[in-house]
Amino acid sequence: MRAIQRLGRIGTAFGIVFVFTISARAQSAGTPDLTGFWINQYTPDLSVVLGKQPPFTEFGAERWRTVDTAKDPSAICLPVGPSRGFTAPFPFLLVQNDKMISIMFEYQSIWRAFYMDGRKHPDDLADYPYFMGHSLGHWEGDTLVVDTQGIDERSWLDTAGHEHSAKLKLTERFKKTGPDTMQWTVTYDDPVYFTRPWSIERTFTRGKPGDRVLPYTCNENNLDVEHLRPNQPNLNYKHVPEPPQAKKPPR
Amino acid sequence: MTRGIAALVMFAVVASGASIAAHHSFAAQYDRDKPITLKGTITRIEWANPHIYFYVDVADKGETTHWAIEGGAPSTLYRAGWRKDSAKVGESVTVDGFLAKDGSKLVNMQVALLADGRKLFVGTQTFSPKGH
Repeated sequence: MRAIQRLGRIGTAFGIVFVFTISARAQSAGTPDLTGFWINQYTPDLSVVLGKQPPFTEFGAERWRTVDTAKDPSAICLPVGPSRGFTAPFPFLLVQNDKMISIMFEYQSIWRAFYMDGRKHPDDLADYPYFMGHSLGHWEGDTLVVDTQGIDERSWLDTAGHEHSAKLKLTERFKKTGPDTMQWTVTYDDPVYFTRPWSIERTFTRGKPGDRVLPYTCNENNLDVEHLRPNQPNLNYKHVPEPPQAKKPPR
Repeated sequence: MTRGIAALVMFAVVASGASIAAHHSFAAQYDRDKPITLKGTITRIEWANPHIYFYVDVADKGETTHWAIEGGAPSTLYRAGWRKDSAKVGESVTVDGFLAKDGSKLVNMQVALLADGRKLFVGTQTFSPKGH
């Protein structure tokens, strides 16, 4: 009888441990639900957020000095690229499941797909870039991390005219900071334009229940094009390279 | 939460007459050094993307000139409470804005006032926390 009681106690203890294990597993597998209507923080010039110009290479600095904002790809309704999608003054919808997260931007009615199924970037991505890039996502704890490559070099990073090459790699981190706020940290890594990766942070704010995405069909009545005139606001820009980063002493 | 409100306020501020800066740089099309005020009659309204346009006939010394006025994006204006029929053809309007760089009769609207003093197509309440 005592043996049976002991077995019962062991069984109960095992059951409790089992339940805790299941619970812990559910929590670790549980990821934040980012689904919803989100409002961008309008950021027409990334260097304003950064507090200075990004760490240009000589080539990147000369491109910035001579950029002509009349040649903005967005002005002729080419897709704005992943960076401007999240910094324009228009909201977006995020829809999430285990295999994919999709972003539907009001601005230009364009989209991004974050593939969450463990795939790799396609081998021929460089030959077939897309303005919004090819994005792979995964969770690191409660943070969504997205690696985007294959971004068409004709897109710009912002309205001010910061450009990039086909080698641009974006790393974005999405983290809920409250029920109605989400922090977006984006790192721009492009060895053609920048000497090192650099990052900014922005905050997305949740819209109200019932908010909807409205039409933005860029070519519907784009009368601006014929009125654009050359505009080079940075011709006096003087490039000052960053001092070399201090190397870590050998251990 | 404060950051959230700050983000909303920033959004509302920049959405007011500045939405053209999302589509392309303001200075590639308009001249900040050439402000202008026009008073005339609305002849047509185009509620379309990427920016609304309305057209104004301005009478001066027996001659009538035709002007195009560019405003914000329809979605921005809609959320600010404006509708495509917020103004009617034939209404009088006074427009403050900036002239196009190419010398055409095109103005980027900053403020427009109807004859009864109501503002027109100004996006100052986009994404108000109070709802819309």
